[in-house]
Amino acid sequence: MAIAVFFVAAAMAVLGGIGVISFHQPIRSVLSLVVVMLALSVEFLLLSAQFVFAVQIIVYAGAVMVLFLFVIALLGPARELGRGRLRFQAWLSGLFVLVLLGLMWAMLQGVQYRQPDSKADMSLFGTVQAIGVGLFTTYLYPFELTSILLLVAAIGAIYLSRKRIDDL
Amino acid sequence: MSTLNIGGSQIDTSWFLLLSAVLFILGTTGVLVRRNPLVILISIELMMNAANLALVAFSRQLQNMDGQLFALMSMTVAAAEAVVGLAILVDIFRTRDAEDVDDLSELRG
Repeated sequence: MAIAVFFVAAAMAVLGGIGVISFHQPIRSVLSLVVVMLALSVEFLLLSAQFVFAVQIIVYAGAVMVLFLFVIALLGPARELGRGRLRFQAWLSGLFVLVLLGLMWAMLQGVQYRQPDSKADMSLFGTVQAIGVGLFTTYLYPFELTSILLLVAAIGAIYLSRKRIDDL
Repeated sequence: MSTLNIGGSQIDTSWFLLLSAVLFILGTTGVLVRRNPLVILISIELMMNAANLALVAFSRQLQNMDGQLFALMSMTVAAAEAVVGLAILVDIFRTRDAEDVDDLSELRG
C-alpha cells in the first residue's frame, strides 16, 4: 500500500518535472512545479516528516509559488521564441544531463547505508515537538540567522522594485 | 541494508534518492535549455526541491532530525532567493521586454 502511494507520487513528481521544462508558457511551468511540490510533500509524509510535509504545502506551494504566479500576472504572457544563438545547445544539454544521470546512478550504487536501529524510539520522529526541540536548542543560531536573511530579502525586494523618477 | 519500514511495507531509501536525482536532472536540463529567465528560476526551485527530498530521505534512514531541520532552512533560503530573483526580473522587464537570457548578457540595468 505504501509502495503504491510512493510510486503514484513519484510518477506525479516526474511528470510535473517534465512539464516544468517542457511547456512554452511560463504559467504552465509554474503550475507543473506546484504539482511537483504536492507530490513531494506526499513523499515527505511517507518518510515520517509530518512537519516538513505541512510546511512544504503551506509555505513552498502556498506562498513561494503564489509569488511566482503574481510575477507572471504582473509581467503578462511571454512566449519563448524559436532557436537561440547556440543551435546545438539542446542536444549538448541533453548529452550533459544523460552523463550527469549516469554519474548519479553510479554514485547511488556505492552508498554505504547504516542499518536503521529498529529499537530506537521513533514515536516523536518528525513531529512538531522534535522540530521545535531541534530548532530552538541545537540550531537556534541558524534559525535566528534565517530571520535576518528574510529581512534582507524583503529589504532587497522593496529596494529593487522602487519607483524610479529618472531612468537609472 | 537501506530498507525502511514505511507503513508496513519495505521501501528502499535508494528509491527516494533516485527520484531526487531524476528531479535534479530535470531541473538542470531546464536551466541549461530554456531561455526565458522566469522558467530558469522555476527550474532552480525544482532543483532545490529535489535536494530537500534527499535530505529528508537520509534523515529517515539515519533516524536523525538534522536532515529535516536542514530541509526547513533550505526552504527558507529558497524563498528568500526566489524573492530577490523575481524582484530583479521584474525590474529588468520594466525597462525592456527580455524573453531571452542571451539578451541580458551585458551588466547593464
